[in-house]
Amino acid sequence: MKTRNLLYIVLLPLIIASCKPEVNDFTPSNGSADFTSFVSIGNSLTAGYAAGALYKSGQEVSFVSIIAQQMTYAGGNGQFKIPFMPTEDGVGIDAITENGLILRTKLVLGYSKDCLGNVSLGPVPAVPNPDQATLYTELTTSVAAEGPFNNIAVPGIKVGHLFAPGLGMLNPFYGRFAENPATDRLIDEVAKVNPTFFSFWVGNNDVLDYAASGGIAPITPVEGGVGTGFKASYAAALQTVLQVVSQGIVANIPDVTSIPFFTTVPYNAIVLDDQAVVDVLNQAYTPYNQLMEVNKLPYRITWQLGPNPMVIWDKDMPLPDPFEQYKFRQAKEGELVLLTVPQDSLKCARWGTEKPVPDMYVLTETEIENIKTATKQFNKIIKENANANDLAFLDANALLNKVSTQGIMQNGVLFTGAFVTGNFYSEDGIHMSPQANALVANFFIQAINKKYNANIPEVNITDFSPLILP
Amino acid sequence: MKKITFFLVTVFIATNIMAGGYQVRLQGNKQTGFGLVGTPMVFGSSSQFYNPGSLSFMKKKWDFDLGASFIMSSVAFQMSESNYQAESDNPVSTPFYFYGAFKINKLITIGLSAYTPYGSSMVWNDNWAGKLLIQNISLSAIYIQPTISFNINDKFGIGAGFVYAIGGVSMRKALNYSGDSYVELDGKGNNIGYNIGIFWRPTEELSFGVDYRSAIKMSVTDGDATFKVPQALQGLIPENNTFSAELPLPANMDFGAAFVFGKVTLALELDWVMWGAYDTLSFEFGEQGDLLNSDNPRLYKDTFIPRLGIQYDAGKLIQIRGGFYYDPTPTDANYFSPETVSLNNISYTLGLSIMPVEGLSIDISWLQIFGQKADKDYSPDNFSGTYESTAIIPGVGISYSF
Repeated sequence: MKTRNLLYIVLLPLIIASCKPEVNDFTPSNGSADFTSFVSIGNSLTAGYAAGALYKSGQEVSFVSIIAQQMTYAGGNGQFKIPFMPTEDGVGIDAITENGLILRTKLVLGYSKDCLGNVSLGPVPAVPNPDQATLYTELTTSVAAEGPFNNIAVPGIKVGHLFAPGLGMLNPFYGRFAENPATDRLIDEVAKVNPTFFSFWVGNNDVLDYAASGGIAPITPVEGGVGTGFKASYAAALQTVLQVVSQGIVANIPDVTSIPFFTTVPYNAIVLDDQAVVDVLNQAYTPYNQLMEVNKLPYRITWQLGPNPMVIWDKDMPLPDPFEQYKFRQAKEGELVLLTVPQDSLKCARWGTEKPVPDMYVLTETEIENIKTATKQFNKIIKENANANDLAFLDANALLNKVSTQGIMQNGVLFTGAFVTGNFYSEDGIHMSPQANALVANFFIQAINKKYNANIPEVNITDFSPLILP
Repeated sequence: MKKITFFLVTVFIATNIMAGGYQVRLQGNKQTGFGLVGTPMVFGSSSQFYNPGSLSFMKKKWDFDLGASFIMSSVAFQMSESNYQAESDNPVSTPFYFYGAFKINKLITIGLSAYTPYGSSMVWNDNWAGKLLIQNISLSAIYIQPTISFNINDKFGIGAGFVYAIGGVSMRKALNYSGDSYVELDGKGNNIGYNIGIFWRPTEELSFGVDYRSAIKMSVTDGDATFKVPQALQGLIPENNTFSAELPLPANMDFGAAFVFGKVTLALELDWVMWGAYDTLSFEFGEQGDLLNSDNPRLYKDTFIPRLGIQYDAGKLIQIRGGFYYDPTPTDANYFSPETVSLNNISYTLGLSIMPVEGLSIDISWLQIFGQKADKDYSPDNFSGTYESTAIIPGVGISYSF
């Protein structure tokens, strides 16, 4: 008896010892939603466009790919088809000229030498001076046969483009996966995967095109018919989607003036360290200042040692007609210079001092105001549509605003609006990094879970790559 | 004796997990089996740690005690709002002790000891969700303590020990740069402290003890810091750097009482662990300090650990022990770092002493710790989740007195 008791005492701990700690308190659930087949409608942000191009691994980590992956725990069928680009270097649109598109590969962080011979680290093309014909082939080779696709987001589209027949002829990112590029409408792609749940994040380009062109391309007007006005187009597009699938999430659009593409180059980037140069410049602008005084206008151009505001073209200056060529002035604090401004021209070709910086590289106070007004108007329309149709809603504007004002910390990764070092934006200063896509996916998941009482698991951000440094 | 100590120090690379913070109280296998209660007890030369006041109550002229424990611990983690799970892969760690004591006369007993009262070893997968907070860490401290104990009269003893502590830390955490960047810190430090105790045994059936072990600030200066970062950052973050940091090894004050009922001894103890001293873990670097220095809040609070121990004398050859204690976490729920997963621990102990010949005792102990599942957050990094831990700790020791 006694030895038997002793045996129990010896054995008991061994039995308990076999228990390892286990924490499994999370029960995935679809709640009242059906995540079987997920379709994502959007622009470059949804397509996974990043670092200035659409490329394979960027598409793989688009926030909608991540959401689709996480939805598999809550009933998703795991089939999220993406119209993949053929290469990892990808293809992006560098410029649109009279002679056609100028294409580029994605940007990577690397070293470049400026006009003064200084070497610095920044975004450089993965392939310098790429063969245009090759990139064109990669961009336009049809992958329609692999469809239908769940991620039907198309870089560059505005709300009105969703209804445009033959969009594929104008936008190669749609053309490459449209079955009949000459006639198909993007909105009709939605039904092809028999979706049960959708994401709809459009409207960014309706204002971003204006901003990224320095206020030259038009902002989509609020009013106007379907295909023209934002209000009618947005409502009609969403209604068309809802005829196919009734559950989904919509997101509003961020105020683009807080992204690094517009905030990295300071308005007062002209640093003078030679009094002789200051004197020469002040002398040179004396006639300008006199002209403004005569016309009773407040503009003056003055120079001093240290940082000085750039001289910029401003087409909105109220100068009488004969003085059209004097519509330039020094930038004001708060005005934005685009990341694409040629740095060598600022440093070595007297841009910003003797030569006003062209309009296409600058957002003036008025232009910034136009952007903010349009963003507000569009977001009001988006929110109204989300509410009216009882859809989940993500305030992406508030989210990106938080990134640029306070920063967002998650699992030790600090996301800020800083270019390259801020973790949120990719090498182009506009689109999201892989880690930011994971963060945004989690915010979408939170909004979906809340609306549909679901429990889609969030993703671990540190499983995604930071920007690649040489 | 010096040789033996040196041998132990080198053989047992003291990488230990903690029981409450990073404290390890496995300083005697008799005590370990007895709910880790020692302050109100006379357990020969191992009293040097638990209560130098009771050392002078040892019966023989010489007393030696040597032993070790084998900590097999594991921590499970699940990220908040996610099915993401991780489990630590901690190596078996082996805190050890060695005690020698010599009774000069009825009044005075002297001793020398080496033991490992603090340590922590936590190994997460290099790519786990909390890799930017910690990938792996190993803390260890070895205390060398000469002791003197006075038996004022048959009922009352006081004792004091001088403590020379040698500590080491090595840790690695990932940096959010490409190419699996990380920083690895490796440093050593030493400092001094003391250990004083009072023991009172008014009757053969009743004894009381109070012990105070001072805090020791383990300062690492000129430790090695190795940064593996992309080449583009090496101008900013030098690969080889130095660092200094200070880790408090907190003071303890233990109160205990023991009662003898025939063959059964029952003991109660309350340990006050002054973790409040651990407020911030700061790192200062020799180069690029403005960029690299960091202050990491920990905000520990003092804890009180109630303990119960029972011993049964089963004849001349065998003693059986059991114990139980509750060791609450000293951590703050919002500053809970996965480098030290210290939960509210519920523990039981079992012990067995076999005494084949007069003066010789083989002491076997078994300790199992159940870290209670809890939601924790390290708010500066917004890293939150649910943790649970277990530890299984068999131990064996041998003591000889003559």
